[in-house]
Amino acid sequence: MSATTSGTSGIAIPLSARSRVTLTVASVLGLMMLCWPLLVRVGDGVSRIDPPFLFLLLLPVVIAVVVAEMSEGGMDARVLAILGVLSAVNALLRLVSAGTAGVELVFFLLILSGRVFGAGFGFVLGVTSLFASALLTAGVGPWLPFQMLCAAWVGLGAGLLPRRVTGRAEIAMLAAYGVVAAYLFGALMNLSGWPFLLGVAVPGAEGDLSFDPTAGALHNLRTFAAYTLITSTGSFDTGRAITTAIAVVVLGPAVLTTLRRASRRAVVVQTAS
Amino acid sequence: MSALPRDLHPVAWWLWAIGLATAASLTTNPLLLLMIVGVVGVVVTTRRTDHPWARSFRFYVWLGVAAVVLRVLWRVVLGGGYPGEVVLDLPEVPLPDFVLGVTLLGPVTREALLAGLYDGLRLATLVICVGAANSLANPKRLLRSLPPALYEVGTALVVAVTVLPQLTQSIQRVRAAQALRAGDTGRVRRLRRFLVPVLEDTFDRSLALAAGMDTRGYGRAGTATATERRTTGALVLAGLCGVVVGVYALLDQTAPRLLAAPMLVVGTLVAVAGLVNAGRRVQRTRYRPDRWRPAELAVVAVGLMVGALGWWLNHHELAIAYPAVTATPEVSLTALAVGLLGLVAVVVSPPPRVQGGAR
Amino acid sequence: MRPLLELRGITLSYDESTVLDAVDLTVEEGELVLVSGPTGVGKSTLLGVVTGLVPRFSGGVLRGDVLLDGVSIVDAPPRERAHAIGYVGQDPAAAFVTDTAEDELAYGMEQLGLPPETMRRRVEETLDLLGIAHLRDRDLHTLSGGEQQRVAIGSVLTMHPRLLVLDEPTSALDPTAAEDVLATLTRLVHDLGVSVLLAEHRLERVVPFADRMVLMPGGGRRVEVGDPADLLAHSPVVPPIVELGRRAGWSPLPLTVRDARRAARTLTLPAPPDVADLADEPLLLATGIGVVHGSTVALREVDVTLHAGRVTALMGRNGAGKSTLLWALQGTRKRRAGAIDLDGDDTAALDPAGRRGRVALLPQTAADLLYLETVAEECAAGGAGTREILDRLVPGIDDATHPRDLSEGQRLALALALVLAPAPRVVLLDEPTRGLDYNAKGELARILRTLAADGHAVLVATHDVEFVASVADEVVVLAEGEVVSSGPTRRVVAESPAFAPQVMKVLGAPWLRVDELEVALT
Repeated sequence: MSATTSGTSGIAIPLSARSRVTLTVASVLGLMMLCWPLLVRVGDGVSRIDPPFLFLLLLPVVIAVVVAEMSEGGMDARVLAILGVLSAVNALLRLVSAGTAGVELVFFLLILSGRVFGAGFGFVLGVTSLFASALLTAGVGPWLPFQMLCAAWVGLGAGLLPRRVTGRAEIAMLAAYGVVAAYLFGALMNLSGWPFLLGVAVPGAEGDLSFDPTAGALHNLRTFAAYTLITSTGSFDTGRAITTAIAVVVLGPAVLTTLRRASRRAVVVQTAS
Repeated sequence: MSALPRDLHPVAWWLWAIGLATAASLTTNPLLLLMIVGVVGVVVTTRRTDHPWARSFRFYVWLGVAAVVLRVLWRVVLGGGYPGEVVLDLPEVPLPDFVLGVTLLGPVTREALLAGLYDGLRLATLVICVGAANSLANPKRLLRSLPPALYEVGTALVVAVTVLPQLTQSIQRVRAAQALRAGDTGRVRRLRRFLVPVLEDTFDRSLALAAGMDTRGYGRAGTATATERRTTGALVLAGLCGVVVGVYALLDQTAPRLLAAPMLVVGTLVAVAGLVNAGRRVQRTRYRPDRWRPAELAVVAVGLMVGALGWWLNHHELAIAYPAVTATPEVSLTALAVGLLGLVAVVVSPPPRVQGGAR
Repeated sequence: MRPLLELRGITLSYDESTVLDAVDLTVEEGELVLVSGPTGVGKSTLLGVVTGLVPRFSGGVLRGDVLLDGVSIVDAPPRERAHAIGYVGQDPAAAFVTDTAEDELAYGMEQLGLPPETMRRRVEETLDLLGIAHLRDRDLHTLSGGEQQRVAIGSVLTMHPRLLVLDEPTSALDPTAAEDVLATLTRLVHDLGVSVLLAEHRLERVVPFADRMVLMPGGGRRVEVGDPADLLAHSPVVPPIVELGRRAGWSPLPLTVRDARRAARTLTLPAPPDVADLADEPLLLATGIGVVHGSTVALREVDVTLHAGRVTALMGRNGAGKSTLLWALQGTRKRRAGAIDLDGDDTAALDPAGRRGRVALLPQTAADLLYLETVAEECAAGGAGTREILDRLVPGIDDATHPRDLSEGQRLALALALVLAPAPRVVLLDEPTRGLDYNAKGELARILRTLAADGHAVLVATHDVEFVASVADEVVVLAEGEVVSSGPTRRVVAESPAFAPQVMKVLGAPWLRVDELEVALT
C-alpha cells in the first residue's frame, strides 16, 4: 500500500480576501457566542442571569450569512455535487458510529476532504454535513448551530495545514490534527452546553460545577475544565480522538488517493483553444 | 367553512414553534411550561402528516424527559450545599483538590431538586418545541424555501438527502461483492475494502449528477454587477461587525446599553440585507412554490403573540415567570394566555394532506 | 437551409492521445442521428463536445468550432446551452437532482427562470406526452429503468430543447422497455420536430429508427457520416441482421426485420443444424427456491439445474428476480424455501471463503470488487493464479494501471479473474454485457465457452438477446420470480418472440446465429 499521493490538489471553493475577512469576523462572533460564560461581566446588583437563548437564533443567521458569502460567486456544479455526496457520506458515518460510545467517524472524512479540497470547502462541508445528518437522523435541535460551526472549523483547519507535507508525514500530521480537533470540538461543544445543561449557579451556593456569572473568567474556566474533564474528556472525547487518528492512519492514504482522483476530475478545466 | 386539506408552509410551523420556544425560554414556571408542552403535543398530533419525519416527535419528547432527569440527577450528585429543607441525607464524597473542592452527593434539599426540575423543564420545553417544528414541517420543502443566496448550499443538501438511500444500497452491494473475492481480512483493512469502492462509486455518481445539473442550466450566469457584489460584501461585513459589538455589549453588562440590543438588531438586519442582496444575483424561479396564505400568516401570528406575551411576562410579572422554589408556583391571566394561545394554531391551520392524495 | 447544429473540424486531444480528429458533422432539424462505433472510439466524447461537457468535465484540449443555428457556441458552458440542447446520460438515475418525477421535470425550467404558469403547463404536457403522468408523485429511485429513462428525457424536454443528446439510452433496459423508450423518441422526432443525436451499442435496436448515421471506426480512420445502409456495408460493428445481409450479398442492405424477411425469400436454406448433444453432468441442483424481499415474493418455487460444460442464460425483464436468483444460488441471499445441492453441500451453509471456492459470482457492478490502487496489487490480493487467469482472459494489461482507468471490458476481465482465482466450478455472471460492443461481447462469449469447456457450469443473467444466441446452450426465463420457460436455447427463444434474436426473426427457427449459415451462403 503505497501512498501515491501527489501534493497537487485543487481548491474547490477559493477564498477571496473578502471571504477571508468575513470568515474571520464570523468566527470571532461564533467563538464569543460559544465562550460567553467566560466573557460575561455582570454589573453590580444583578442577582440572576439567564443563558442567552438569543444566541440560538442568532448563530444560524451568522452561519447562513457566511455560507452565502462563500458561495457568492456561484458554485461549480461539480463542487456542489461532491459537497452533496460527501455530506451524505458524513451523515451516514455519523449515523453508524453514533451508537457505539465515543466512536465517531465524522471527523475523519471531514479532515481528509478539507485537506484535499481546501479550507473553504472544508468549512462549508462541516456545515452541510452536520445539517444533513440533522435533517436525516439526529434532528434539528438547539445544539445544531454550535455543532455546525465547530465542525466547520475542523474542516477549515484541515484545509489550512501546510500544503508541502506529503507521504507519511502528511498522514501523521493529519492524524495529529485529528486528535487535537477531536478534543477541541468536545471542549467547545461542552462549553456551549454547559450553562444550558447545568443551569447558572445561584449566588451563595458552593462547590457546584455550574457556571457562576459573578465569578471571574479564570474561575469559570477552572470550573468548566473540571466539568468537561469529569463528563467527557475521559470517555467521549478520547474515544473520538482515537477513532479519528486510527481512521486517518489506516484509511487515510487510500481515501486521499480517491479524493484526489475526484478533485482532479472536479477542478481541472482545460479551456478550448 | 372548513379548509381543504393541504400542507402548511414549513416556515410557518417553524416560526410558530420558535415563538413558543421563546416564551418557554423566558420562564421557569413549571405550570406554564407544562401548558406549552401540552399545547405543542395537541397541535402535533392533530396537524402532522404520515411522513417519516412526522414520527420523530416522540424522540424529542424522550429527549426532553432525559433533560429533566439529567438536570435533577445532577443536582443530587453535585448539589450539596444548596440551602433549604433536606429531603434525602446522602453521605458526602469529597473529590481531590484539583477539582476545586467539589463534593459529590451530600444532603439533598427540596429546593435543589425543584430548581433542577424547573430548569430542566425549561430546556425540555425548548427541545419539544423544536421537535414539533421538525415533525410538522416537511424538511424537503423547507430546503426549497431557503433564501436564494443559500441556493447552492441548499441544493447540496437536497443532493445529500436524496443520495443517502442510494449510498446505503451501494454499501450493501459492495459488502456483498467484496465477500466474493479474496483479499485483506484485518479488521480495519476490511473497512477499507468497502469504503474505497463506495467512495469511488459515490464520486462517479456525483460527477454524473453535476453533468446532469449543468446541462439542465444550473448556475447560468447571473446579473450581479461588480457594484452589486461590493454592496453585498460591505453589507455582510458591516452587519457581522455590528453583531460582534452587540454580543459583546450584551455579555459585558458594564458597557453602554445602547450598544447591546439595538446594535444587535441593526447588525442582524444589515447582515440579512446583505444576504437578500446576494440572492438577487441569479434569476431563478420556483415550480409550485409554497405560498403564504392567510392560514400561514395566522399561524405565524399566533407564535409571535405567544413569544411577545412571554417577553411581557418576563419583564412585568417576574414572580410568575420565575417562581421561587420555596413557594407554590402561580399562574396569572397573562401566563394562562402564554400557555394556551398556541392552541389557536389548530383552529387556523388546515388539516394535513394524507399521503397518496393529489398535491 | 442552415443546419441546426454543425461541428467543424472538432479535434480533442489529451496529453498524448487524440480522441477525435477533425470531425465534421451536421444535424438538421427533426432528424434522428445515430453515433456508432466500437467501444472507446470516443462516441461519448463526441456527444460531450455537443453538450459542452467536454472538455469542461473531462479535461483535454478542444479545437474546432461548434455552431448552433450558425452561431458559435464552443465557448459556452453546458448551462448556457441548456435551453437548446438537452442531454441524458448513460445512467439517468445518477443525474436526478430531486426526488419526485414532477419536481425533476420542473428542475431545468427553474434554472432557466421560466414563469410559474409556463412551468406548470409544460410539466403537465410533458407528463402526458411521455405517458408518465401516473408516476408524478413517485419516488424516482423506486421507478424501473425504462420509467427512469423516460423521466430523464422528460426532464430535458420541458426546457423545449431543439436537440436531444442521448448516451446509450437503451443499454440497461430489457427489450420491451427499450422499445418503449425508442418509440417515445421517434414520436418526438416526428411530431415535435426535435432532433435527436444518440450513441448506442445495441445497433439492432436503434438502426431501424435512424435517419442518418455517424460511423466512428476507430484505429485512426476518418469519421464517416451518411445513410445507415451505406455505412453499415463496411462498418466494423454491425447488428446481426446486417451481417446476414452482407454475407448474403443483399443490396440495399436490409435494416429492419421486415426488409430482411423480404430479401430472405430468395435464400435457399440448408438443412437445419444438428442439435448437438449437451453435456449431461449435473453440478448444482436447486429445487423450489423461494426468496422473500420485505413483503414481496422475489422468487417462488424456482427449479434450476446447472450442468458442467454448459452455458445457461437467465433471461427476463428488469426486476424479474434474475439477480436475486444468482445471489441465492451463490448462498449469500437467504432463501425462505427450497434446497440447493452442490456436490452434497448447501451453498447457504458455507462460510464466505467456502462459497468462493465453490461458486464464483460476478456481480452487476463488477467495479464493486476492486479496491486497490494497481492491477498488480489487486492480483496479489486475489491469491495465486489470479494474474494467470487474467492473462488468459485478456492478455497484456499493464501491472501499474489503476483498476478504475481500465476499459469496461478489461475491468470486467479483472473482476472475473478475481472471482475465478479460488477455482470454483460454478460460475455465475450478472449482466456482464453492459457497455460492451460486439467485439467485446464476442470476446466474452469466447471466455464463457472456454470456461464451459474446462468443465465449469456457467449461468449468465442478461437481457441481451443476441449475446444469448451466441453463447448459451440453454435458457431459463424468469417472470415475476417464477420460471416461465426453460430448455435448450433454440426451443426457448423460438417460443417467446421478445427473446428471439434477429436471425431467427428473419429466417425462423431454429436459426440463431449468422455463422450457422456460413455453409449455406458461400
